[in-house]
Amino acid sequence: MSGPPPGFFDEAVDEHGQTRDHYRPVQEWFDRLTLEQVKGLEEQRNESFRRQGITFTVYGGDEGTERTWPMDLFPRIIDAEEWSMLERGLIQRVTALNRFLDDIYAGEQAILHDGIVPRRLITSCTGFEREAMNVAVPLGARCLVAGIDLVRDADGAYRVLEDNLRNPSGISYVIENRAAMTKLLPAAFSDLAVRSVDHYGRSLLRALRSIAPPACGDDPTVVVLTPGIFNSAYFEHAFLARSMGAELVEGRDLVVDDHMVAMRTTRGLERVDVIYRRIDDDFLDPVVFNPSSTLGVPGLMAAARAGTVSVANSVGNGVGDDKAVYAYVPDMIRYYLGEETIIPNADTYLLWEEDQRAEVLKRLDQLVVKPVAESGGYGIVIGPRATDAELAEARDKIIADPRNWIAQEVVNLSRLPAWSGDGFAPRHIDLRPFVLSGEQVEVIPGGLTRVALREGSLIVNSSQGGGSKDTWVLGNSDQLDQAAAS
Amino acid sequence: MLARHAEDMFWAGRYLERAEDTARMVRATLLSTVAESPAQAIDRMQNLIRTLRLEVPTPTEDVETMAEQLAPSPPMLRSESGLGIDVQVAATRLVASPALAGSVAFCIGRTRENFRSLRDQIPSELWEQINEFHLRLRQDDFPAAMEHDPFQTLDFIRVSCQSLTGVISSSMAQGEGYRFLVLGQMLERALMTCRLVSVRYPELDGSSYDEMALTLRSVSALEAYQRASQSSPLGCDVARFLMVDGSFPRSVLYCLRSSENHVEALAANGRPPPLRRLAQLRSELEYADFDTMVGDLPRHLSALESGVRDVANLVGNHFFRNAESFDLHSQAIMPGVSS
Repeated sequence: MSGPPPGFFDEAVDEHGQTRDHYRPVQEWFDRLTLEQVKGLEEQRNESFRRQGITFTVYGGDEGTERTWPMDLFPRIIDAEEWSMLERGLIQRVTALNRFLDDIYAGEQAILHDGIVPRRLITSCTGFEREAMNVAVPLGARCLVAGIDLVRDADGAYRVLEDNLRNPSGISYVIENRAAMTKLLPAAFSDLAVRSVDHYGRSLLRALRSIAPPACGDDPTVVVLTPGIFNSAYFEHAFLARSMGAELVEGRDLVVDDHMVAMRTTRGLERVDVIYRRIDDDFLDPVVFNPSSTLGVPGLMAAARAGTVSVANSVGNGVGDDKAVYAYVPDMIRYYLGEETIIPNADTYLLWEEDQRAEVLKRLDQLVVKPVAESGGYGIVIGPRATDAELAEARDKIIADPRNWIAQEVVNLSRLPAWSGDGFAPRHIDLRPFVLSGEQVEVIPGGLTRVALREGSLIVNSSQGGGSKDTWVLGNSDQLDQAAAS
Repeated sequence: MLARHAEDMFWAGRYLERAEDTARMVRATLLSTVAESPAQAIDRMQNLIRTLRLEVPTPTEDVETMAEQLAPSPPMLRSESGLGIDVQVAATRLVASPALAGSVAFCIGRTRENFRSLRDQIPSELWEQINEFHLRLRQDDFPAAMEHDPFQTLDFIRVSCQSLTGVISSSMAQGEGYRFLVLGQMLERALMTCRLVSVRYPELDGSSYDEMALTLRSVSALEAYQRASQSSPLGCDVARFLMVDGSFPRSVLYCLRSSENHVEALAANGRPPPLRRLAQLRSELEYADFDTMVGDLPRHLSALESGVRDVANLVGNHFFRNAESFDLHSQAIMPGVSS
């Protein structure tokens, strides 16, 4: 076996071509499988996902828009020491982002007064919602669920690629992937103390209850608000409601009367205290946002402002995951926590800064250009792979509206074997861990590993041919000993 | 529970029941055409379509034209399975055509759709079961399977429906949602049995054993009837059994009693309109002198049928579109006190 080609970090293989220690048992296990056995497992997996209806919706196609979830059999493994660093880094980052959002919306805006983050950056941000000003959130847990996208660069160092603080999705697939893997490959888990992800529903419910309005007593009613069965993430909304034992409501099930939110039940109206909403800000309340929205609840923001209901994630979080604001997160960490950043950002250029812009426009064909407020991989231009016309278009857009764009150095995503139809071959991956904020900030071990199933591709989004992998976080050696002894 | 969820449960129950009942009726009808002349067989099929058509919530043109198309094509050819081709094509459509409102495939599709918006409410086992069943009915080779081996296919449908009902009763918490689901099933079943009796009753007059066996088999009642009444069957005895037998779970009286129990539990000590109407309907049937009633059976049946429809509407108005306004302030809870 030869070493990996330069430029990419291989997760499972070191620079001498040796399988890394924490991958060894799994690699050996896979090495023993025949081609037919792998194909059999692939078939079993598809059949099981299809039967359970574990699907996602692809917009824009004609029929068959419900597709079964693509999960690759080869797991991603993170050892205990590495995870402990990531966990600390993620808690640090989300703690600072919560502090920042609370400072902007309900505090003194001290970070702006002190000139750490430029005021015009905030006021020009599309995710900044004036309607959310002075709406208090108990515990300041504004990013109740955060999904932080991590990648590893050519040296294997983890970097934050972007923050998702509005409606990050994917956690249900983390749990379903694990459930499928334990059924398909029970033997591969042996001797590894893989940390469980099953408790997510409980943890989410605990976090949601912790932000209930203080006046509602010790048994608040929590609901999940979904746009409905045609939303691409409906499967996840139902999954979360089920695992919390909460009602899954749509906008039409809720009414606001005299600043109180209630749901229509078979016995009339019933008070609602906490809403975990999976509807974007713009559609949440037609009174103050998009007036043509039929998905939302008229009067919801007024109720939130009156403090009779708590809404998670908080309205206006888009100001925290704007990609230009992202560049300031290390400054926020220093400002609020007095700490140095544990997981660094990817190298980022702010295009509204004149000198940075000039530099970027010279090297456009070597950089990645992203719109600041989009998510899901939309609108991204990857310089080395773009045509001249695409580059020219990007250049015009940047010059026309520099605030709306950032540029980043291309990160050569790390690689891990994935099934390619007739064998396992290296494919690029990223990682989205999920972070919950309530009484404390908690990270679910692992997260969603996304994989670009096409050879050489760096696009991991499931809407664009990406797949996923189960992500195993190993317990520390004490836990391993316990597992071996039991 | 959420009014919208309750309504979806109710309709899931109705569609599931309709699918099962349709499969039973198609099976009984096909069975009786095997040994018949083409003209008789077509007659029988039309009879069945008439029974079912009246059960389709919005009668579609599709069903109308289907009954007409059936009429004028003797001499009838026979297919491999020994059934008339026209009869078999019609049966296949009633079962396997998802575009035909009221077909088994259509009803199961609707059941799944209702359950899909209830995924957080129902056991995963139930979802997996309905999903698998639905996918089978939508497979490309399913209509062909129905044509080649109609009886086995119809048995598969019956068993699948029964195992869904089994999952419902063995793994679903028997709270509000469960009651709405079973209420939907019971009201739908009451309607189907009413329709069957009113369409079949004229045929029963002649007291031929075959006609009576077909009627009873359509609701899987032949064995139960034979045990309950050892005298040779008379048309009016069959009607009596299907309408007022207290222990057969597909009799109209049984369905009304069961519905009443569920609505009573759902109403939590109140006497809402659907409960009043249901109790009235049930006691009228239960205490009526059947021998007098049988003299004017069509009128009684149509009154009963519209009564059941009334109940379904009242259930909708009371539970699903509940317009009563509540004083939300009175529901505000003091700290430390749970509701």
